[in-house]
Amino acid sequence: MKRSTFIRIAAATLATATGLALAGCSTDGGGESSGPVTLEYWTWAPAVPDAVEVWNKAHPDIQVKVTQPAGADDIQAKVLAAQRAGEGPDIFAAEYQKLPGFVVSDAATDITDLVKDAKGDFSDATWNLASVGGRIYAVPQDTGPMVFMYRADLFEQYGLEVPTTWDEYAALAAKVREVAPGSYLGGYPDEASTFAAYAQQLGAEWWSSDGDSWTVGIDDEPSQRVADFWQPLVEQGLVDTTHFFTPEWNTMMNDGTLLSWAAGVWAPGTIESVAPDTAGKWRIARMPSWDGETQVGYMGGSSAMVGKTSKHAEEAVEFLTWLNGSAEGSGLLAEGGLFPASIAGQEGLSSLPVPPIVGGQDDFWTLAADIASDTADVTWGPNVQVAFDAFSDAIQKATNSGSSYRDVLKTTQDAVVADLKQTGFTVK
Amino acid sequence: MGGSRLDEGETMTTAVSVRRARSAQPRVAPWAMLAPAIVLFVLFLLVPIGYAIYLSFVALRVDGGAFGVRRQVFVGFENYVTALANPEFVASLGRLALFGALSVPITLGLALLFALLLDLPGIRFGRFARTSIFLPYAVPGVIATLLWGFMYLPSTSPFNYVFRLIGLPPIDFLNEGVYGSLANIAVWSSVGFNMIILYTSLRSIPSEIYEAAKIDGANEWQIAWRIKIPLLTPSLLLTLLFSLIGTLQAYGEPTTLKSLSNSISHSFFPLMKVYRDAFGTDNISSAAAASVVLALGTLFVSLALLRLLQRRTFEETR
Repeated sequence: MKRSTFIRIAAATLATATGLALAGCSTDGGGESSGPVTLEYWTWAPAVPDAVEVWNKAHPDIQVKVTQPAGADDIQAKVLAAQRAGEGPDIFAAEYQKLPGFVVSDAATDITDLVKDAKGDFSDATWNLASVGGRIYAVPQDTGPMVFMYRADLFEQYGLEVPTTWDEYAALAAKVREVAPGSYLGGYPDEASTFAAYAQQLGAEWWSSDGDSWTVGIDDEPSQRVADFWQPLVEQGLVDTTHFFTPEWNTMMNDGTLLSWAAGVWAPGTIESVAPDTAGKWRIARMPSWDGETQVGYMGGSSAMVGKTSKHAEEAVEFLTWLNGSAEGSGLLAEGGLFPASIAGQEGLSSLPVPPIVGGQDDFWTLAADIASDTADVTWGPNVQVAFDAFSDAIQKATNSGSSYRDVLKTTQDAVVADLKQTGFTVK
Repeated sequence: MGGSRLDEGETMTTAVSVRRARSAQPRVAPWAMLAPAIVLFVLFLLVPIGYAIYLSFVALRVDGGAFGVRRQVFVGFENYVTALANPEFVASLGRLALFGALSVPITLGLALLFALLLDLPGIRFGRFARTSIFLPYAVPGVIATLLWGFMYLPSTSPFNYVFRLIGLPPIDFLNEGVYGSLANIAVWSSVGFNMIILYTSLRSIPSEIYEAAKIDGANEWQIAWRIKIPLLTPSLLLTLLFSLIGTLQAYGEPTTLKSLSNSISHSFFPLMKVYRDAFGTDNISSAAAASVVLALGTLFVSLALLRLLQRRTFEETR
């Protein structure tokens, strides 16, 4: 081949390849103001696509496209990366504890003025979950007030009574080890969202703000009380130490080694996929109380935020008000397994079938709604992930080495305060 | 090449002048063939490295208060100071050293042993042995870790099952013995690759040396110890270097095993901490600084090793 021919072919190949690559990278422009608006909605909840289908049929002018790019833990990184590239989603799902983190990363639109009318659709405590610094940044979708889920059949078999206080729980844990040596009453809070929920019952405020500065109260007295409660139970081997949703834990839930699990009210829906053969054997009850208080903490629960790079905030809020606040939208979400945050949604629950895992508990929805009506007031700080990571690392280490759980709280407190200060926040 | 036809008389001079003219022009063909590799190298290696270094000198900071928005500011070497002074980062390097001290000698020792054994004359099933030793290398890291993870889990472990049968106490692979378990996965995965490198080097040793040694009365063991291993030192250095660099980048095994074990924290190894900073807590500048530190450390260790062993290794080949 002649050199000149070779060069021409090589140049043509390079040009074509570059052209193809660039064409692949090009994006469509944003929706025009005339014509249908398409909103991109990033979430992980399997309940959402079905609800969105109903909306899309009824609203040809506002179409919503659902993408499920990641689970709850990983979606934050993806949303932030997309936002910084200028192509973030119009709407994305965010757990309540991640809200302030998104706000300080400039990833969410302030929708306070747009959602004024929807405030009445939610209880005050729920509405507060979506506010950061006095402004609203999200529309609550589902909540996770804590419930005590237990194996009713095994409780009957071993002659156990559902604990109403934490002291009763401790005594019951010891009794279980006696009458059923291979089983455990339950696990201990080896990660922060469960632990924080227990402390929230006592009114613990891990983060609080007066508008100008943060106060971190992770190693305050309520949390220390929770730590002191669980330490002897773990040391004496009265509770199991396997982390939930690991293969070992799944096996134990299936074969009756674990007799209970304290988690958000979404627990029955989730256990359906973990231990489907135990359907009908579980029941839920109120969480044991510390001193007779009735408020419970939260574990999880998510909201929908409007992305900062979205050009259709008004349409997005219109859609979200329907999805999360109206009886119709909330009903569709509840059918998909979410516990709706809206008042209308919770009122409409009694018409739904009871989740199969707790099949036979006819008052499931009434009890759940009752529990959801008395929840603690929770404020999350801007660096929740730092706290959660530090806590779970420290408590695992403490369990393995036998050191004090109070030190775990101190370690977490120090890590959180140091991180807040380094980012530049004012910390009291 | 289909060149022009030259007249008789002009043949030599014209040919020479054409040759000279051709060699005076810049040769485009090599550049054209290198171009795709250069483009990919620049786009996917140099540009991201440059961006990471840039990121390591900035950070997202708030201007005080409680609800400000984080903005990017230039912070100089602050990220590096924080990374190096962070006790978690230093501890993770210590854990990595322990892991490396277990996995590297065992990997190379086994690879050397297998290569020497496979090079013995009269060996049977050589190809089968070579393939089966190399096969674990073909298993992707995450899959290998999951595979071993389930063999370590108390309820599914075949080892503990056998121990229970014979009456021995079960081994706690995932908590007490987590370093050994991680090292085992690393060794299992990489022995094959290193063995192939050493084996290939062994094959290139001329057999006259062995004949001469046998005439002098050497047996196989002495041949291996006195002839093969000394001649293998360049390859051994190469595999040592690869193993060290691979150890410094250990990430897949502990991350995948983390969900099965209670003893692996978010910053168990340095790269895990880098990943957590970048994608967990949205602190990408801290991650960038830590990874630059790690890269420079790897570079330093490699250069030091090469310089240290260079004379011994390459003297004979000069």
